[in-house]
Amino acid sequence: MSDYIIEMNHITKRFPGIVANDDVSIQVKKGEIYALLGENGAGKSTLMSMLFGMYEPDEGEIIIRGEKVKIASPNHATRLNIGMVHQHFKLVSNYTIAENIVMGMEPVKKHFGIFKTLDQKRANEEIRALSEKFGLEVDPTKVIENINVSMQQRVEILKMLYREAEILIFDEPTAVLTPQEIEFLLEIIESLRRDGKTIILITHKLEEIKKIADRCAILCRGKLIDVLDVKETDTKTMANLMVGREVNFSVDKPEPEYGREILKVEHLTVQNEDKFEVVKDVSFSVRGGEIFAVAGVSGNGQVELADAVAGLLKPSGGSITLNGKDITHAAIRSRNLEGISYIPEDRQNVGLVMDLSLSDNLALKNYFMPPFSRGSVIAGEAFTRYSDELIEKYDIRSGQGSETVVRSMSGGNQQKAIIAREIELDSSLLIFVQPTRGLDIGAIENIHRQIVEQRNKGKAVLLISLELDEVMNLADTIGVIYNGRIEKIADAGTLTPGEVGEFMMGVGGRHEKA
Amino acid sequence: MNTIIIDGLSFALPLFIMAIGGIYCERSGVTNLAIEGLQGFGAFCGALFAVCIAPYFAGDSPVPFYLAMVFAFLGGTLFSLLHAMLCIRFKANQVISGVVINILAMSLTEFMTKQINASIFKAASNKFVLGVSARVTVPGISSVPVLGAVFTNLYPFEPVIALIAVIAWYVLYRTPFGLHLRACGDNPHAVDAAGIEVGKVRLIAVLVSGALSGLGGICFAYSISANFSSNIYSGYGYLAIAALIFGNWKILPTLGACLLFGFARSGGYELVKILEMPSSYQDLVMVLPYVLTLLMLVFFGRKNHSPRALGVIYDKGAR
Repeated sequence: MSDYIIEMNHITKRFPGIVANDDVSIQVKKGEIYALLGENGAGKSTLMSMLFGMYEPDEGEIIIRGEKVKIASPNHATRLNIGMVHQHFKLVSNYTIAENIVMGMEPVKKHFGIFKTLDQKRANEEIRALSEKFGLEVDPTKVIENINVSMQQRVEILKMLYREAEILIFDEPTAVLTPQEIEFLLEIIESLRRDGKTIILITHKLEEIKKIADRCAILCRGKLIDVLDVKETDTKTMANLMVGREVNFSVDKPEPEYGREILKVEHLTVQNEDKFEVVKDVSFSVRGGEIFAVAGVSGNGQVELADAVAGLLKPSGGSITLNGKDITHAAIRSRNLEGISYIPEDRQNVGLVMDLSLSDNLALKNYFMPPFSRGSVIAGEAFTRYSDELIEKYDIRSGQGSETVVRSMSGGNQQKAIIAREIELDSSLLIFVQPTRGLDIGAIENIHRQIVEQRNKGKAVLLISLELDEVMNLADTIGVIYNGRIEKIADAGTLTPGEVGEFMMGVGGRHEKA
Repeated sequence: MNTIIIDGLSFALPLFIMAIGGIYCERSGVTNLAIEGLQGFGAFCGALFAVCIAPYFAGDSPVPFYLAMVFAFLGGTLFSLLHAMLCIRFKANQVISGVVINILAMSLTEFMTKQINASIFKAASNKFVLGVSARVTVPGISSVPVLGAVFTNLYPFEPVIALIAVIAWYVLYRTPFGLHLRACGDNPHAVDAAGIEVGKVRLIAVLVSGALSGLGGICFAYSISANFSSNIYSGYGYLAIAALIFGNWKILPTLGACLLFGFARSGGYELVKILEMPSSYQDLVMVLPYVLTLLMLVFFGRKNHSPRALGVIYDKGAR
């Protein structure tokens, strides 16, 4: 009998057009935090989906607590005390936290010996006790649609604990969290481990692995590269193994050569749906060959600012000028034709039509022009030719090439598709909103290189990012936004990250005035 | 005043029971436009059974009526199996399935009514004559002013419907099964992850809808039309759908909507009588509930939210 709680031996799983796992073997000890590291599409999630019974492996065997098992369904996995927190939460939005957790295993109370009802009170008490035991700070009576993502995630954790899971799988748990929330989650994971749980962490964030994991398996393109002891390995080595080549963290950027002014925003004011001013009297300009980065904490109006420039939101005051032309009230298409490329924050809802093919999505902004349309007839072969060209040029990976339905592609490749489409428009202004959110190192590096390349070509770039590192690495000029106002505009070279951070919190420059 | 309440209730309650069925179905995530067809087919089954056994009972016996209710219940269930098969098993478009079932029920029952009349009863007729069921008045409480009208001249189906409605409310909001059912209409993936079979819950919900629609249908056949014929398809099923939408897919507000429809109709009749208008104006009154529907659409249309997963075919793999 081995001392491993989980053994997955020689697992191979194929999907149409792709080998997701190629002879992968991992062994996990009881009570350890085991990380699975790899780029998007490396096969981490697939491997864990098999452990959780969502797919069956084509080849290989799974051994749990020394016994060979065939896990046929997630329910079967639950009976084996395996739980999983998925990337997309599975919660009923109009139910309370307690109702969501107990569903399927409800505590029941009987009236007159026959009428069974859900025992709401007992459910609430049980959940509250469980929440306190692991420090989850969850109020079981709150309704899901009224709580934030971080708490929803904790509800998913409680769901596993309520079902007495011993092996907990977390699929990219920090992708949707803020830095403070990540801290909190890592503490929770620690406390789960202290209780004797075994934890498998799927991630592509090296700092988290370094912080809490004991061992780390690295996957690259479906193959197991190595299993490392985290304490004895530095992040640089992990990153290189994961990407399969030398990774360059810093961005090579020549001195800027500024051209003429391309975008000019004057006294711009934008209201949100509730008639609340979210962008207040903002003025700035972006020149050709310049990366203007807007730094700020999430929710300070930066997304609305970008939406207003792109035409998705109507400004309530001020003006926007592009290449000397007033576009304040122009329609979105005329802005695009005038020279705006927009890489939105919400890729799946704003950036792509998820159920259309990759080729249709790549032509989404010029399908009405030749060569894609002749008169009012669409030319299918032009779509395919164009998309094959872009797939090659931007290394967009997908199962069936041009014909792939975008929904089935990984997040990183979806973003690559948007960026390819927008850069190919050859616009004078490119707006990037959170371009690397949720992406892995290899993809981030690639996108940063492309942003700099566009700038070197003389394009104006408006970059909106919540990652301070990204702003510091890329920006020529930094504008810090706080509470809807641009608090500070300065040359990137003249500000330290600490100073930018202070302006982001709204306390920067206090001592100057005093 | 009393007539308005008495007639209003006898119209509103069958509507209400059909709407409850619709709520079950739609809260589980299956769009149900088939209520019209289901109530017609249920009424057909009940009426057929009633005319078959009628010779064995005395003319004023209530037994055939109760048995007709049972068979309408079963007939509606049977016919709704078709909707369940199409929507759940074969993942067909739920709107199209509903519309097709309505058309199918109408032509099928009319054809069968004629054939059965010709071959079994040797009569060329396109209806089964049922008569209006006997009405009862609860002694004592019925003499209370205004409120007493609720207990006066009751059709026997009214207390039955009230009882079923209470049970339906209790099951939907208080039992684990109700919890699962409502969850299926919001996020079936969560239900699946909790180890519950989404298809099974939805199947039961659709069948409940069929059963209750059939029940509503036979009640109309025994009161308003006094027979079974293609007249039964005069849009009450759609009215039930309108009621549940105004009721925001909740049972109690839906009762309110049904009562409103019922009283609008009976109030209109009363008005025609008081104003001594020609009886042809009564047809105009029939229009009232529908006009009310249009008006309410304007006011409630935006505020109400349908179940999140309504009409979405459940596909385990989809993200």
